[in-house]
Amino acid sequence: MVLEATMICIDNSEWMRNGDYSPTRFDAQKDAVSLICGAKTQANPENTVGVLTMAGKGVRVLVTPTSDLGKILACAHGVEVGGEMNLAAGIQVAQLALKHRQNKKQQQRIIVFVGSPVKYDKKVLELIGRKLKKNSVALDIVNFGEEDEEKTEKLEALLAAVNNNDSSHIVHVPPGPSALSDVLISTPIFTGDGEGASGYVAAAAAAAGGGFEFGVDPNLDPELALALRVSMEEERARQEAAAKKAAEEAGKGEKGEPSTSQDAIMTENVDPGTSEPEKKTHDLTDDENALLQQALAMSMDDSSSTVAVRDTDMSDASADDHDLQLALQLSVQDGKGDQSNPNDANNIFADQSYMSSVLAQLPGVDPNDPAIKDLLASMQNQSEKKEEDSESKEEEKK
Amino acid sequence: MSCLHDHSCEEHDCSTDWSLYKHIDLSKVSALNEAVSGSVKSVFKDWEQRLNSSEGYLESNEDDPELIVFIPFTSDVKLKSISIVGGADGTSPAKMRAFINREGIDFSDAQNMQAVQEWDLAENLQGVLEYQTRYSRFQSVGNITLHFPVNFGGDASTTQIHYIGLKGEATQLKRDVVATIVYEITPNPSDHKTRAETGGSLSHVE
Repeated sequence: MVLEATMICIDNSEWMRNGDYSPTRFDAQKDAVSLICGAKTQANPENTVGVLTMAGKGVRVLVTPTSDLGKILACAHGVEVGGEMNLAAGIQVAQLALKHRQNKKQQQRIIVFVGSPVKYDKKVLELIGRKLKKNSVALDIVNFGEEDEEKTEKLEALLAAVNNNDSSHIVHVPPGPSALSDVLISTPIFTGDGEGASGYVAAAAAAAGGGFEFGVDPNLDPELALALRVSMEEERARQEAAAKKAAEEAGKGEKGEPSTSQDAIMTENVDPGTSEPEKKTHDLTDDENALLQQALAMSMDDSSSTVAVRDTDMSDASADDHDLQLALQLSVQDGKGDQSNPNDANNIFADQSYMSSVLAQLPGVDPNDPAIKDLLASMQNQSEKKEEDSESKEEEKK
Repeated sequence: MSCLHDHSCEEHDCSTDWSLYKHIDLSKVSALNEAVSGSVKSVFKDWEQRLNSSEGYLESNEDDPELIVFIPFTSDVKLKSISIVGGADGTSPAKMRAFINREGIDFSDAQNMQAVQEWDLAENLQGVLEYQTRYSRFQSVGNITLHFPVNFGGDASTTQIHYIGLKGEATQLKRDVVATIVYEITPNPSDHKTRAETGGSLSHVE
């Protein structure tokens, strides 16, 4: 939680019209600037950030160091692209702006975006770097846009002159599919020196939904994650059951395949699903047992709607596969008359040996655990009861 | 350790004289152009330890002999004299300039501003020389900034300082201490009745 005053130097020269960073280099910069401002102000509420432009008619300070995020973002909007960047003057003006910051207790930092070629000598840059170091100003350089041997060399020399105890950094961002801001998030420019803004970074990454299965953090909401995982496995199981049935109907020679593929898919499903919330599944507590039973009961109850859902799912997925087409037709016919497909699913869950093998693959679950045995037994009873109910219903219909 | 002053030291204990270092707010001490960040704190110690540099000393960056040391105190002090122990081989500072009660002085400020007092230093490796201040100007010092622009030269490319001693008196007064302030967004006048409004200063006995 370092108390810091930061000046961001934006490159708004003609080179920024290029579209190799989407949508244009300049817009990518603006995104990165707004992210940096957010990260800095979140890390410490007393941090201040200011912005200046280096090209255009000359170096111009858009906003002096302030902690008001809205003001910073508003000022960054009206900036126009044009002219040539003046790196040395930009850094010196930034240093001056920091010198006149209101709170002298803040550490000074300059973040400079260098997208166009650097016309200054290495010597001049080193001199500037030494002056910054002497006045204990840290410098972060973002090297993107134009790629030039000389440019990289000069910027590295500048960094070496400024660097005091690794407080200054340089990041090279090559053009590519990922946005400038995404690349910057993982660099020390955002994460400070290991602490502080990493909380903001984690929040930004989580908001994008990246890295977690189903887009839900198992640490934040373990029950939701568990429920999602269970229903996903169930859905897959049912699809595989239909495929298996189709294969049986179509040709007995293919019988071996779907079941093995089913097993393979089930194991695949189990492995990634459990890699993250593994700690949560260590003990299947009574609560979870009850939830699991409820989920299973609900999904098996509502057979007609699930058949319809499954139809749409399967038609989407199996446009090409002839066997699955057959399966579709068969399942539609079956679904109208009887509840054979849910019974298939029932059978799968009721097949105790199969279930115990699946459960054995779940880490931390012992199939011989009495709780699990009870669960399986009760599920079996339930499925038997369901069959009885359905049979009795059929009799009533007749 | 015997005192090398030219008077007999049994009358007073040099150590207690130079005890103003106890009133320095060490966490807020800072230096500009120091090679090792934080090394400035090692120069403030007991008089008896002034020649003991085992815990480090203050050195400037390569090829740059300028140093600025910012020293805040925990309460206002009256500064009588200053003692500096430098390094050998010309790394001792040659000049010292002092600024009082100004925060955030950097090198360009220091070069442009008029110092409160300036001294020409001599090489003082044993720590026996003291530089007196114009006492009238140093009566209520909340913080002091020392600027060392040059060293004795020769082969020295850096400036080294091993000890800074301060002699004087600490008053118990503090600067800029803010008492508890209650901020009110919408003040309610009825909460702030003055004496006149409450019916004067006569008390009732019922």
